[in-house]
Amino acid sequence: MKRRLTWDFLMVRYPAFFPLILMILSIAINLFLQPKMFDRETLNSNMRVFLPLILLAVGQAIVLLGGGIDISVGGVVSIVNTILATRVGLDGSPEKMWQFVMISLLVGALAGAINGFFIAYLRLQPIITTYATSFLYAGLALFILPNPGGGIPSNIANLYRTSTPLGLPLAFYVIAILLLIWFYVSSTRYGKYLFAVGGKATAAYETAVPVTRMQFSIYVISGFMAALAGIAITMLSGSGNAEIGGQMTLNSITAVVIGGNAFSGGIGGVAGPVMGAMTLNLIQNIISFAHINTWWETLAKALIIVLALAVPGIINLIRRRRA
Amino acid sequence: MVKSLSARNIVKHYGGVVALSDGNLDVHTGEVVALIGANGSGKSTMSKVINGVVVLDRGQLLLDDKPVNFSSPQAAKNMGIATVFQELSLIPQMTVAENIWLTREPMTAFGTVNRNAINEKTEQLLSLFRGTYKTELRPSDTVGSLPPDEKQLIEILKAISFDPWMVILDEATASLDSRQVQRLFELIGDWKKAEKAIVFISHRMEEIFRIADKFSVLRNGKTVGAGAMKDINDKELVKLMIEKESVFSFSRACSTEEKKDKPVCLEVKDLKTDSLHGVSFRVREGELVGIGGLRGQGQRDLLLSLFGDIPYTGVMSIFGSESKLRHPREAMKQGLALIPGDRAREGLLYIRSILENLQLPSWAQYGFPLKIGKAKRDANMAAESLNLKMAGLTEPVSSLSGGNAQKVVLGKWLMRKPRLLLLDDPTKGVDVGTKAEFYALLTQLCNEGKTILFYSSDDEELIGLCDRVLVLYDGTIRTELSGISLTKENLIAASLGATNEGAI
Repeated sequence: MKRRLTWDFLMVRYPAFFPLILMILSIAINLFLQPKMFDRETLNSNMRVFLPLILLAVGQAIVLLGGGIDISVGGVVSIVNTILATRVGLDGSPEKMWQFVMISLLVGALAGAINGFFIAYLRLQPIITTYATSFLYAGLALFILPNPGGGIPSNIANLYRTSTPLGLPLAFYVIAILLLIWFYVSSTRYGKYLFAVGGKATAAYETAVPVTRMQFSIYVISGFMAALAGIAITMLSGSGNAEIGGQMTLNSITAVVIGGNAFSGGIGGVAGPVMGAMTLNLIQNIISFAHINTWWETLAKALIIVLALAVPGIINLIRRRRA
Repeated sequence: MVKSLSARNIVKHYGGVVALSDGNLDVHTGEVVALIGANGSGKSTMSKVINGVVVLDRGQLLLDDKPVNFSSPQAAKNMGIATVFQELSLIPQMTVAENIWLTREPMTAFGTVNRNAINEKTEQLLSLFRGTYKTELRPSDTVGSLPPDEKQLIEILKAISFDPWMVILDEATASLDSRQVQRLFELIGDWKKAEKAIVFISHRMEEIFRIADKFSVLRNGKTVGAGAMKDINDKELVKLMIEKESVFSFSRACSTEEKKDKPVCLEVKDLKTDSLHGVSFRVREGELVGIGGLRGQGQRDLLLSLFGDIPYTGVMSIFGSESKLRHPREAMKQGLALIPGDRAREGLLYIRSILENLQLPSWAQYGFPLKIGKAKRDANMAAESLNLKMAGLTEPVSSLSGGNAQKVVLGKWLMRKPRLLLLDDPTKGVDVGTKAEFYALLTQLCNEGKTILFYSSDDEELIGLCDRVLVLYDGTIRTELSGISLTKENLIAASLGATNEGAI
């Protein structure tokens, strides 16, 4: 039987193929500009900067797979950052830190549950709902910490910054665990439901898939992952700033889109978005090493997201013209 | 053990539209019940009430004579009721195996889906239709990449995969070829022997008589007859499906005979689109030609392609000059107008004023800056001639009733003084009074020399108004009825693809 290797087939079957090429390409350019990139120190200092966005992208990837979108993740990152910076403090004890890490995770899941309630149970539009709650969460963060300041003890922050078990950056282990969890989850019933709801919600409903509960759950997961990202970025910076999550939302969506997940849901995975997040960060590196003005960064990122969105449309247009 | 499901006096509204007003159905194990009815008679709603997709407003479902309540598809499924959905309940991005076993996946000890078991069980199911697949169908194929008939087969296999005692087949044969239908019917025979109950919804008379043991006829949301197939013939069935007395007195537009020497207004040769497989016909100036047939046989595509709205192949000439329309704009220049079927989505800007809606296609005629005064006068004249009931031109269209809103759709095109009008089911959801006005208007337009191509899902309208009806079936013109052969019986028989072709 003939089976043509089409673009569609490739994108559906191997959604991580395209982001893999992009990542390798950006690693190559980065290596050219920064030959010491794979030294232990450099690698670790890169990876610890990459990790918050990777965590965020994983949560966003789940939401997009389930046919939604979460624009409020940046706000959740900010809330978690300000909670840790104000409640733990620069001279807080480790016990206090872990206590508030747990609280932060709960807060993240709760913020996600609020989104999920509006979207799944009240059937509001995901993009509008989370856009509105993004202001709610960003405003709460500003309320907790109006001016940058506060922080966490530097010895705890250093745990995150300098731990390299077996000589590998901590971030590698986190990514490995995330991917393992995803490979497990995607082959469970929950994973099948996720693809079903994102692929065609009406058909999933008619097949007796619990559509509403699934939609609710993806926002809880996204809120939880955003809290993890908030904890990571707080340990990275060691200080508090209510605006810290602001620009991470667009980055997380960009990472997922260049990671090969379809905006319409039901296609993709988590490995692609992880690579997408790495690529975005690498581009950031490249820009700073090539001594290009930093304002190029926003433009470059915006171009990538526009291109990633336009490519399928352009392919369809060409097909139509030919027909 | 004999099981049974009965639906009694089911009522279901969608918004203001009554889909079912008195639906009844009795199904027992070991029999095939055909659910029959014309367009919009409530067949699909009936099946969706039984499988829990929609919740009934009034009435009762009895399982083994005990009242039951299906609040969700899950509930019906737990009771062993499976459905083959007309629109298919498959997730295009997922594989054949994943789709069939969704929510019932065999699991491993680790809580993951057992891929080997799922593929093996899928292979077993696929073997039921072995030899009728056009591709080498594998459990790991993505459903979205399959041809329509194989998607349909997967939907059937999915429904029977959990060994239900009752299967609802809603238009399950529409996209199957004869070999696949044959195989399905053999399987239905096996299921009957295995004490399953089958509800068979189809538009094809020949299939109904081949497979069904009993029938139940719906008309306008009411069950009007039920019994054993052996006690009835196709003519009697068709009669049951038809409304007895007519509310309207129609005046047919002048007959085709009189228009014989008029010039040909529209000539179409071998028109093809995704759902049209070669349609050719001619319409003379001043004719009112009806397009009939069951819903979804290509009528919409025909009108849209004539208006340049969707791509097509074939030759189209308007008043003798061949033209290839690529955009509705080009069709408008040729003097064409399309009154679309879904006025909320395609015909009107609901929140904008009546004036804006009426003038939308015509603004170009009012210069720059717009001559608002003249536009208002013209719109007022149009509104008056249509007998539009409104508070004022500046009111939003959303303030109008369904019938009056539809008049605005018609009015906005009449203001351009088109030569050829294409109408896509214009009286759907329109009140009786406005319908009568519409009929008078259409006849009048024809007498003024306008040419009209008129699709209606209401057979009575076609017979009352048109002198010639092209009956579409599966994307081709099945029959052309005109003059004395244009009767309700013939029209319905032709719509159902009956073999006698409705000849007199």
